[in-house]
Amino acid sequence: MRGIQDDLPEFTAQGIRPVAISVDAPSVSEHLRQTQHYTFTFLSDAHLDVIRRYDLLHHAGGPDGSDIARPAEFLVDRSGTVRWENFTEDIRVRPRAQQLLAAARSIQ
Amino acid sequence: MPDAKQRRTNSALWLGLGLFLLAILANVLSFVHLTSAWFPFITLALPILALVFLLSATVRAFREPQLFRGKILGTSLAILAAMLCAASVAFFYGARHIPASAGAPQVGQRAPDFTLPDSTGQSTALAQLFSPARGITQPPKAVLLVFYRGYW
Repeated sequence: MRGIQDDLPEFTAQGIRPVAISVDAPSVSEHLRQTQHYTFTFLSDAHLDVIRRYDLLHHAGGPDGSDIARPAEFLVDRSGTVRWENFTEDIRVRPRAQQLLAAARSIQ
Repeated sequence: MPDAKQRRTNSALWLGLGLFLLAILANVLSFVHLTSAWFPFITLALPILALVFLLSATVRAFREPQLFRGKILGTSLAILAAMLCAASVAFFYGARHIPASAGAPQVGQRAPDFTLPDSTGQSTALAQLFSPARGITQPPKAVLLVFYRGYW
């Protein structure tokens, strides 16, 4: 998230709109946005509907045993087609903003 | 008592202690900051190396007590390092215990449509994310969906 925010001008210049999705309630995401000065969109999937549809449910993956989303990134073009995706093997590892931008460059 | 001048520094002890502290730091850092793909392996390698050095320091202290100190400190640190190794391995496997997501949309497939509330509570559909953002005339060519574990 931090990396995306730091490179947000470059994402915008390349025509990429980052959108974060988690089980967090809108108020929790809004608090995160304000305290961390994130300016991109955060969506709330508190009922895990979309997370299930994308097969990203991590059952009891939360620290309190709650169901959450596993980390994953998708680049979706204007036709609604997935052009690039990434599924980490370790929750501590995420793609760097430069990797995401490199993937975005391949999309016309 | 042997002459103090004959004693040599049990360097493996101090090297082991340094690696032990680095191993704790690496484990903490890996959970506080998102890291590169190779970093989790460092969180395994450091405590194992620390344990190797501390064990050799302890063996040395028991075999040649006239030369090397560290029977008690070496033994205690080696036990702590062994515990840290076990914890690091548990963290490593825990962090990699992630569902396979075999049913996730593949490259070339359509991304399933959705409508979700944004952080201000406003309902937002996937298609709406492609409309030009405020202050930008050009609509985005792609949306980067970043699913994350959540902010606690």
